[in-house]
Amino acid sequence: MRLNKIILSFVSALVILFSTSVASFAKVVGDKIILGAAISLTGKYSSNGVHTQNGYNMAVDRINSMGGVKVGGKTYKFDIIYYDDESNPKRAAQLAERLISQDGVEFMLGPYSSGLTKAIAPVTEKYGVPMVEANGASRSLFTKGYKYLFAVLAPANLYLDVAIDLAVEKNNGKGVTVAMAFEQDAFSQDVRLGVLDAIKRTGSKKVIDDKLPKELNDMAATLVKVKQMKPDVLVVSGHTKGALTAIRQIAEMKVDVPMLAMTHCDAAKLSKQHGKNSQYALCASQWHKTLTYKDDFFKDGMTYDADFTKEFGYAPPYQAAESSAALLVFKDAFERANSFDQKKVRDALAATNMQTFYGNIKFAEGGQNVDKPMVLFQVMCDDGGKCENKVVAPTKWASAKLIHPIPSWSKR
Amino acid sequence: MKNNSILYIGILIFGIAAPFIFPAFKVQLSILCVLIVLATTWNIQGGEMGYNSFGNILFYGLGMYLCASVQVGMFFPLAEWTESGGEKTFVHTPAQFFQGMAVGLIVAAVVPTIVAGLIGYSILGLRGHYFAICTLGLGVAAGEISGGIEIIGAGQGFTTPPFPDVGSLDSRGEFFYFLSFFVLVLTFITVRGIYTTRFKLILNAIRDNEDKAEAMGIETMKYKIIGWMISAFFCGLAGGIMGGLVGYIDSTDVAFDGREMGVFMVLMAILGGKGTLWGPIIGATVFHIFKEGFWTFFLGWQYVALGVLIVVIVIYFPEGIMGWLREKYPERFGEVVDEKDRKAQVELK
Repeated sequence: MRLNKIILSFVSALVILFSTSVASFAKVVGDKIILGAAISLTGKYSSNGVHTQNGYNMAVDRINSMGGVKVGGKTYKFDIIYYDDESNPKRAAQLAERLISQDGVEFMLGPYSSGLTKAIAPVTEKYGVPMVEANGASRSLFTKGYKYLFAVLAPANLYLDVAIDLAVEKNNGKGVTVAMAFEQDAFSQDVRLGVLDAIKRTGSKKVIDDKLPKELNDMAATLVKVKQMKPDVLVVSGHTKGALTAIRQIAEMKVDVPMLAMTHCDAAKLSKQHGKNSQYALCASQWHKTLTYKDDFFKDGMTYDADFTKEFGYAPPYQAAESSAALLVFKDAFERANSFDQKKVRDALAATNMQTFYGNIKFAEGGQNVDKPMVLFQVMCDDGGKCENKVVAPTKWASAKLIHPIPSWSKR
Repeated sequence: MKNNSILYIGILIFGIAAPFIFPAFKVQLSILCVLIVLATTWNIQGGEMGYNSFGNILFYGLGMYLCASVQVGMFFPLAEWTESGGEKTFVHTPAQFFQGMAVGLIVAAVVPTIVAGLIGYSILGLRGHYFAICTLGLGVAAGEISGGIEIIGAGQGFTTPPFPDVGSLDSRGEFFYFLSFFVLVLTFITVRGIYTTRFKLILNAIRDNEDKAEAMGIETMKYKIIGWMISAFFCGLAGGIMGGLVGYIDSTDVAFDGREMGVFMVLMAILGGKGTLWGPIIGATVFHIFKEGFWTFFLGWQYVALGVLIVVIVIYFPEGIMGWLREKYPERFGEVVDEKDRKAQVELK
């Protein structure tokens, strides 16, 4: 059996290949603190993955150039090892395992989206690796009793329930009819649960409850129903693609609805890509540049907006801002822990209570940020066709008055 | 024969020692075992029987959901476990975890086998492209349907029970590695066993000329269904293990992942050489190593690199690695080559 020889030599080649490819980094090399992150650089979340990565990089550069992190009297600089998780939870879980057990990373930054964070959290938890994540908002992340997971953002169920409240308020406190269309993924389904709670609370009624596929390119069937049923509010959530598809088809089909509430408008650059078609859309956001929070590194929202635009050539969506904030949280925790011991850093993270340009950050028991409200903005355009996002709720931050109901297409 | 047993014992020892030689690669090694199982079982249809099935992913995903559901459902209310935002936290004790996993894996193997029998009965009458397209639809449909079933988490996904705190940090990796390695050995023994029987000859007869096989009095339908059921049994097991290993089940991205796993199993079998025993194993190994390498060294371009690899395979190794070796070194495969005769033939042309 000569075949055996071939197979044997093949196996030994394998052994050599494997043993030469073991390269290990330590968490702190020289003056570098190495963080690990699996980011969606390809696949359906790639645009938001890039926003996340830009946000991380921006903060790393800023912190490093402004003196770095001081631990035990020594100054350290941040460095990040990135992998591409392809927007796939299976891949993300493998990469987390790889970052920790092969690359020796001891501190992690979160991926983009709730689903991927759900896949990574069990791994980081198992190894006791503190992870500060900025893009996993699903409520179920915070009820699993994770000890090493910290999210700088408000949970997903809070995204759009404010919009329902607003609609009810405009309807003189009476319940409204709500049409819902949500992508079938962890985040959007959680937003849906929040809306359902709000519907129940306000005595409203849901008239359409559609699920949209993950490769979201068409929601005409839902919109036909909306045209027929004439609901008071249409709620759509499906990441960037969902926002783009909704606006495109609502304009094409001339669907009239008094209130249109969505997520991910700024990540989709709606006002830029669709101009006047996106006018009046109401969007949930974790952050807006006009909010008056401050910190030492980015100063405030307006400055962050200007600096980010200068560096990356587009205005920062909230996904970038919250990602930058994650690094500020890590820096703060390292300095307070004054150590690289994972347990000590974890405890320092849990005790975080700070203000960043992005908002106040204070973690609840489950790891979610409880000190930062969501804001709603509305896309508003001037006569020249130049559109801008203006905060309309909550009243504390509002820079414009909500336009309600949306004028019908025949009058636009 | 003596040589053979040395080879098998060598590979077995390597398999058992592997997680200790490469402790950092346990997860990749476990996934490799799962990939080999998928490629080897796909080869029963695609290679030996000539039925290009894209539907084996159905059994894999089914096994994954079933194993996790049983593991949770045996001890806790499943609906509360998967409900998003549920306030309760359930924790499996080590005994519950392993009992649940054991029963879950049995269910994950048996149910897909039955499903394969039922579906097979209705669609294995289709041939060629029609069968391929039909099975492609099966995987897609299963993904969409499972994404709408609330009790298994629907679009939210299903977090499988976390591994209990037993032993050291490495026990999780070791547990899943040995589990998947065990299933791999089981698959190999079974497949090698049936390839030595008349069963394989019947499958080949179906591939080469199904009408003639029928005319000879072979009940082809029966054998096609049995073949598919064997594949389903091991695909279900592989899925059950993979669910526990990944820790999070998403309907279309992890379980009924026809776009990745469903295509990869075909690719691996073809790369190694379909219709051979060792082909899918070698194919899966080479594929996995290349893939991991691309993901490390060509970040952002990994799919381009993978695409180039596929093109190279199709152009230069249309018969796969085994087919290429066989053509290059026929004498090592026990074939007798008469050089004079071969040259004479070449010159004639």
